[in-house]
Amino acid sequence: MREAVEIAIGGVLAGSVFALVAVGFTLVYSVMGVPNLAQGAFVVLGALTMYSLETHLRWPLLAAVPGAAAVAALVGGATERLVIRPARDRLPTSGMLILMVGLLTLFEGASLVIWGSQPYSIPAFSGERPAVIADIRIPTQGFWILGATAASVALLWYILARTVFGKALRACAENPVAASLMGVPVSRMTLFAFAAGAALGAIGGEVLGPITSIEFDTGRFFTNSGFIAFALGGMGSFFGAVAGGLGLGLVQQLTAGYISSLFSNTLTLALLLAVLIWRPGGLLGGSGVRREDVREFTGAPARPVSRLRGPAAWSLAILGAGIVAVLPAFLGGTGLTGSLAITGILFIGVLGLDLLMGYTGQVSLGHAGFMAVGGYTAAILATRLGVAPLAATGAGIALSLAVALVLALVTARLRGLYLALATLAFGLLVDSVTVGLTGLTGGPSGLVGIPSFSLGGYAFASATSTYYLVWGVAAALVIVLANLARSGYGRALRATRADQTAARALGIQVPRYKVSVFLISAALAALAGSLYAFHFHFLSPEMVGTSRSLEMITMLVLGGEGTLAGPLIGVALLTLLPAAFQPLATYKTLAEGLVLVLIMLYLPAGIFGGVLSALQRLASRITHLTPHAGTASSG
Amino acid sequence: MPGSIALEARGLYKSFGGVLAIADVSFSVREGSLTAAIGPNGAGKTTLFNLVTNLYPPDAGSASCFGIDLTGHPPDTVAALGLVRTFQTARAFPGMTVLENVLVGAHLRVRARAWQQALWLRAVRDEERAIRRQAEALLEVVGLADRRDDSAISLPLGAQKLLEVIRALMARPRLLLLDEPAAGLNDVETAELARLLLAVRAAGVTLMVVEHNMSLVMGIADDIIVLDLGRVIATGPPAAVQVNPRVIEAYLGREAETA
Repeated sequence: MREAVEIAIGGVLAGSVFALVAVGFTLVYSVMGVPNLAQGAFVVLGALTMYSLETHLRWPLLAAVPGAAAVAALVGGATERLVIRPARDRLPTSGMLILMVGLLTLFEGASLVIWGSQPYSIPAFSGERPAVIADIRIPTQGFWILGATAASVALLWYILARTVFGKALRACAENPVAASLMGVPVSRMTLFAFAAGAALGAIGGEVLGPITSIEFDTGRFFTNSGFIAFALGGMGSFFGAVAGGLGLGLVQQLTAGYISSLFSNTLTLALLLAVLIWRPGGLLGGSGVRREDVREFTGAPARPVSRLRGPAAWSLAILGAGIVAVLPAFLGGTGLTGSLAITGILFIGVLGLDLLMGYTGQVSLGHAGFMAVGGYTAAILATRLGVAPLAATGAGIALSLAVALVLALVTARLRGLYLALATLAFGLLVDSVTVGLTGLTGGPSGLVGIPSFSLGGYAFASATSTYYLVWGVAAALVIVLANLARSGYGRALRATRADQTAARALGIQVPRYKVSVFLISAALAALAGSLYAFHFHFLSPEMVGTSRSLEMITMLVLGGEGTLAGPLIGVALLTLLPAAFQPLATYKTLAEGLVLVLIMLYLPAGIFGGVLSALQRLASRITHLTPHAGTASSG
Repeated sequence: MPGSIALEARGLYKSFGGVLAIADVSFSVREGSLTAAIGPNGAGKTTLFNLVTNLYPPDAGSASCFGIDLTGHPPDTVAALGLVRTFQTARAFPGMTVLENVLVGAHLRVRARAWQQALWLRAVRDEERAIRRQAEALLEVVGLADRRDDSAISLPLGAQKLLEVIRALMARPRLLLLDEPAAGLNDVETAELARLLLAVRAAGVTLMVVEHNMSLVMGIADDIIVLDLGRVIATGPPAAVQVNPRVIEAYLGREAETA
C-alpha cells in the first residue's frame, strides 16, 4: 500500500513536469497551429544551464533557477524571431512540422556539444533526505516540483484569463488575421508564446533534474510525453494540458512499476494513437481542434517541384549508373566502399519515404519503424532460426507490409498534422518494443552474430560485394519508380498531394492510393533495414530508431523531395560527409539539425530542386535572348 | 440517347447545424442540354452540387445520374459513373504543370494497371502518347498550348478556370457540373468561356452550371433552375424565368412588385 502511494506520488511529480511541457505546447499551438516539437529540448536546456550556472559560475540557487529560465526564454524568443517568423510565410504546415524536427535535432546537437553525452546528476534544492509523512517517503524535491508547477500554471492562467494581454493572446489563437486587424500585435504574441513556453519547459527541467538523470537527448522523451499529455488533454486546451500531464505521469509510473516499462510505453503510445484517431479533441473533448481544411495542410501553397524530363534525365541516369558501376574499382575495398554501401541501403529506404512524402504529401515521422520491423524480423530469423537470408528478408518485408496495412487503415481518416503525429507515435512505439523485448531483440545492446546476406550459396561478405548487391537493387528500384512517377500512377499521387478533393472529383480513389504508397514505402524501408542488418552483422534499436526516422527526413529534404535524384544527393551527403569528418563526430547532430532548418528556410526544394530551378531560369533567359520566340525548355 | 434524363434530384434536404441549406429540392436535367442553376447568394447552389456529387450525404432525398442512384457512392465513384464536377475556387493542382493537370483528368480512362506502368510496357507507352495528344488538342482549343510546361498556378485566374474545364473534359464525362466557372473573369474571359461551354455541349456532353453572371446564363442556357433560400422557386427556359415574378422578387426584394 505504501509502495503504491509512493509510486503514485512519483507519477504525480513526473506528471507535473509533463504538464509544464504540455502547457508550453498549448501556448505555441494556440498561436501557431503547429506544436513546437522542440519543446522538450528546453527541459534539458533548463536543467543543464542551471547546473552550469551553479557549478561553473558558482551562482546561488536563488539566482541560478530564474537565470536558467531566462536563458531558455531568450533562446525560445530568438528561435521564434530568427527561424519561425520567416518560415511562417513561406512554408505550409507540413513544412513547419519538418522545420520543428530540425530545431529539435539542432538543440539536441547543441546540448551534445556543450555538455557532452554523459548523464548529469544535479543537486536537490533542499537536501537529499526525503521527507517522511505518515510513513510515506517523499523526496523534498517533490515539493519544489509541485510548487513550481502550481505557481507557473496559476500565473499563466491569471495572465490568460484576467489580463488584456491574455485576451489578446487568445484572440490570436482564434483568428490571427482578425486579431491583427484589431490592433493585436500578432508577431509579438508569437514571440511571447515561444519564450514563455521555453521558460516553462526549463523550469520543469530545473525542478525535475535532481531526481532523475538528464542528458543531452532526454529532450526527446519530454517532447514525447509532453506532447502525449497535450493531445490527451485536447490540443489547445490549457487545463486539458495540465490534466493530461498529471494523468499521463500517473499512468506511466503505475504501469511501469507494476507491470513493466515496456508495457507502460506501449500503453501510452497506443493511447496517443487512439486519441489522435477517435478523439482529436482530447479525452475530455476540448474545443482545441482547428477547422480542417480539405487540403492536406493549410498555409502557403506547395511550390512546383522541378524535375528532369526526357533526354536530360536519361543522360544523367546513365551517367550515374556508369559511375556507380565502376567506382569500386578505384576504391578497392576500402572503408569508403563500405560507406557507399550504407549510402545505397539508406537510399533505398529514403526512396520509399520520398514516394510517401514527396509525391503523395504524407509526412511520416516514424519511418525507420518499418526498417526496424523488417530488419529485426530478418535478423532474428536468420540468426536464431537459421533461415536463409533471402527468405528472412522476405519475411521481414511481409511483416512490415502487414504492420503498414494496419497502420494505414487505422489512420485512414487522419490528415496532415494528425497523420504526421500518428506516425511519430508509431515510430516511438517500435522504439520501445525493440528496446523492451530484450529476449527477442537483444534489447538496447542489440542483436549480434547476424550472418551476411547470401543468395544461393554465395555470401555477400565483403564491402564490395554488398556494394554491388545494394546498388543493383537500388538501380532496379529507380527504374521502376521512375516509370511509375511519369505515368498515371505518379500523376495520381501528385494530384493527391496537391488537392485531395479535386483529385477525387476526377475519379482518383485517394484512400486506395494512400494505402498503396504507404505499403510500398514500408516494404522498401523493411528491405533497407534487412540489408542494414546483414551488412553490419549487428542491429541495435538506435540504428533503426526515431533518430534514424528524423535523419531520413533530413536526407530527403536536403536532397529534394518529389524527385528521384534528390534522395540520392541527400543520402550521399549525410552519410559520406560525417564519415569524412570523423573527428568532428560530436558536431554531427548539430550540423544535421542546422542543415534541416536552413534548407526549410532558404531552399525548401532541396539541393536538386534548387539547382534545377536555377538552371531552368538560366535556360529560359538564354532562350528569350535568341531570335526564336520559343518556349522555355523544360530541361 | 437524346430525351433521357442526365441528372435527377428528388426531395433533397440538407441542414448544417440548424441552418437549413437545401429544402425539398427536386429537378431534372435533360441529356444534351445546358442547364443553369441560379439564385441569390446563400441560395444553396454550391451545397446542391456537393450533395449531388456526395461530397457529403443529404439528410434526405436522393439523386441519380442517367438512371443510376448516386446515394452512398464516394466522390471518386460518382466520377467513375460519368459525373465530373469543378469547384468554385479554381483548383488547378499546385506543384504540377498545365499539361500535367490536364493529363490527370484522363485518370479514369487509363487502362494500364500499376504494375504495367511500373514496367513501362509498350501498351503503357502507347496509352500515354494517346492521352498526351488528346490533352494537347484540348489545350489548343483554349489557347493554352504554349503554356503547357508552366506551373499551373502561375496562370491567371481566367486561364485556370479554362484549364479546370478541359481537365474535367479529359475524363469524358457524360455530365459536367461547373461551379461558378465565370467567377472572377472579365468580359473577354467570360466570352471565351461561353464559347467553350457551347462547344462542349455541341460535343454531346450535358452541362449543369451554377452561376451568378446573368448575361452569361441567359445567353447560353437551355433551361434554368432558380433557387432561393434552399428551395426551387422556378424552372424553365431563360425567357420565362426572366419575367417570373417570384424570381424577380427573390433577387430584388418585395419593393420590385410595387415599383
